[in-house]
Amino acid sequence: MDGSEALDLARWQFALTAAAHFLFVSLTLGLATFVTAVQTWAVLRRGSGQSAPYARMVRFWGQLYVVNYAVGIVTGIVMEFQFGLAWSGLGHYAGNVFGASLAMETVVAFFVESTFLGLWIFGWNRFGPRVHCALLWVVTGTAYLSAYWILVANGFLNHPVGHTGTGHGIELTDAGAVLTNPSALLAFGHIAGGAAVTAAFFVAGVSAYHLFRYRGTGGDGGDGGDGAALFRRSLRIAAFASPPALLVTAAFGGIQFSALASFQPMKDAVWKAEAAEIARLQADLAERFGPGDYVPSEALTRGAAMLMLLAFALMFHVSLGSALLALFRPAVERFRAWHLLLMAVVPLPYVAMTAGWVFREAGRQPWVVYGLLRTEDALSDVSAGAMRVSLAVFGTLFALLLAVNWWLLLRTARRGPEDVALGRDERAPDGEPSPGPDPVPSY
Amino acid sequence: METLAAALLGLFTAGYLVLGGADLGVGMLLPRLGRDGSERRLVLAAIAPFFLGNEVWLVAAAGVFIGCFPALEGDLFSGQFAVLVALLTGWIVRDAGLWWRGRAAHRAWHALCDGMVTAGSWAAALSWGWLLAGVLTGDPAEPAGGPAAALTALGVTALFAAHGVAFAALRLTGPPYERARRHTGRTGGPGTFTLTSAAMAALPLAAGARLPLADTAAQGPVLGLLVPALLAVTPLLLAAQVWLWWTFRGRVTGPSYL
Repeated sequence: MDGSEALDLARWQFALTAAAHFLFVSLTLGLATFVTAVQTWAVLRRGSGQSAPYARMVRFWGQLYVVNYAVGIVTGIVMEFQFGLAWSGLGHYAGNVFGASLAMETVVAFFVESTFLGLWIFGWNRFGPRVHCALLWVVTGTAYLSAYWILVANGFLNHPVGHTGTGHGIELTDAGAVLTNPSALLAFGHIAGGAAVTAAFFVAGVSAYHLFRYRGTGGDGGDGGDGAALFRRSLRIAAFASPPALLVTAAFGGIQFSALASFQPMKDAVWKAEAAEIARLQADLAERFGPGDYVPSEALTRGAAMLMLLAFALMFHVSLGSALLALFRPAVERFRAWHLLLMAVVPLPYVAMTAGWVFREAGRQPWVVYGLLRTEDALSDVSAGAMRVSLAVFGTLFALLLAVNWWLLLRTARRGPEDVALGRDERAPDGEPSPGPDPVPSY
Repeated sequence: METLAAALLGLFTAGYLVLGGADLGVGMLLPRLGRDGSERRLVLAAIAPFFLGNEVWLVAAAGVFIGCFPALEGDLFSGQFAVLVALLTGWIVRDAGLWWRGRAAHRAWHALCDGMVTAGSWAAALSWGWLLAGVLTGDPAEPAGGPAAALTALGVTALFAAHGVAFAALRLTGPPYERARRHTGRTGGPGTFTLTSAAMAALPLAAGARLPLADTAAQGPVLGLLVPALLAVTPLLLAAQVWLWWTFRGRVTGPSYL
């Protein structure tokens, strides 16, 4: 059974790539928003004598954002190429609708995002504060635009709208319906909220680590003693932002749950464990589409949804308690048990996000385009051997990328604001001898 | 509309090969241009502000490909499976080396990352050679083999390296600059770079002529929306890129964030 093995391998490869990609995307999106807000505040407070701490926050959290971004981009590239590599049937059948949103994402959103991110990272001391801050606004805005276009593509796969079937594929009939597909818009709200939660828990956890280490002192790590102030501020912003972000996420999640009964009745029945309804839908689908198994893995579908809701419940309690505690400065500085808790819960948003995606994607099997194209029919004509090699290559590569990048991320986070390379004035390198014979700046 | 879609695909692919090809070429020659850790960091600073903005040309090209020619994209990518896995692997390893190098301060770490940049750049350039050999000399739907393909692949790889040297000669200072200039000739510099850029840009045009683009374009309703939308934003994209290149136009004299 070469075909079914290739199918399993291709599905594993896509699932691993998407999961690895999303671990970084969620933090990127949330942290970009956080850094943009802080940098904007720093620019607005210029001249008040109080913008310096915010500028330091921008550099510290900005560097974590950039380190995190690096793996997001390379895993994203593999995602994009995988559609053609392993799932060429998707392009053949649904490319007319599905491909266009990917094209818009790469050209309109991602192209601009990366170009401006290059300007922001490497142009730190070359632009005025307002222009430099505006660059980051463009980066963050296009990051959300990117998420929107990807979810238009994904929303179409989950709930195909605005198309008509032809002999060998589908054709676009209503672009407006595709662009305002509720399956895309609701997911966008859910993801945007979830990204904010991820960043809030990350910022709170890293800040708590430093405040824990400072033991209520000023935390003068050789930088004039305002390390604690930086993390106190960061922790408070994160603690106050996380309850509303969680509520937004939960609200969009709840609406999606209630839309499920009409969009994907089988997933709904599996989630609710309604055996009679599952049997009825199976018989109904077999009659419409021919014999086959139309029930997704119950363990994956229901298990992932339960895990997501459990993580949400934990996050909800932690974030409400944290928002209250953050009102009291002594608690922010010295409540060490709370600090430990905040560090321990950093992984929770990742668990919830990954589980949510498993519920969404595994729960709609056997369809790649719901009700239109089966996953097995979208598979490229690639041998199981080739698929095995590419899964081994990308699997190993991603495991290494994840491990090393998390190590770098934690290392950068642990070192604190005294040792940040991002935004260091490269025209006056410290410690590094200028290698050129003629160090006259050409700018 | 099909012609415009093909022109957009050509523009983004040529843009990638001219711009991204330059940073890959510099990466290939990193051990030759820079003899020690700090020299190599300077060489990397020559491409640092650009590589992110360069590789998105290829991401955009792939996006235009899947949007405007979805069936052909699937056939070419799944047909060239092995080549593209090698290309992506090289690309990832190169990027990881670039992003990670400056994040830890050990000599061995720097050497490892420099090695990743060099090996990844070679792998990506060779894969490009192999891919173009498949499209130019053989059947686009399967990886190329045989002496003609091998020669084409090596020729393309050599072109990447030459393009990288020409770019390095325009960007660097100090001993790495002297080493780059030795290869571009006394009058070299802008002239050589223009020449290698033209050769790079010619590659996708030749490849496009061999692909059945006109017959495989997406249907009218999609192209009618997608192509005008892409054309409308393209001038903005070009303006942003020009701004990036203008901002960092000076020669590098010191290390960057990487």
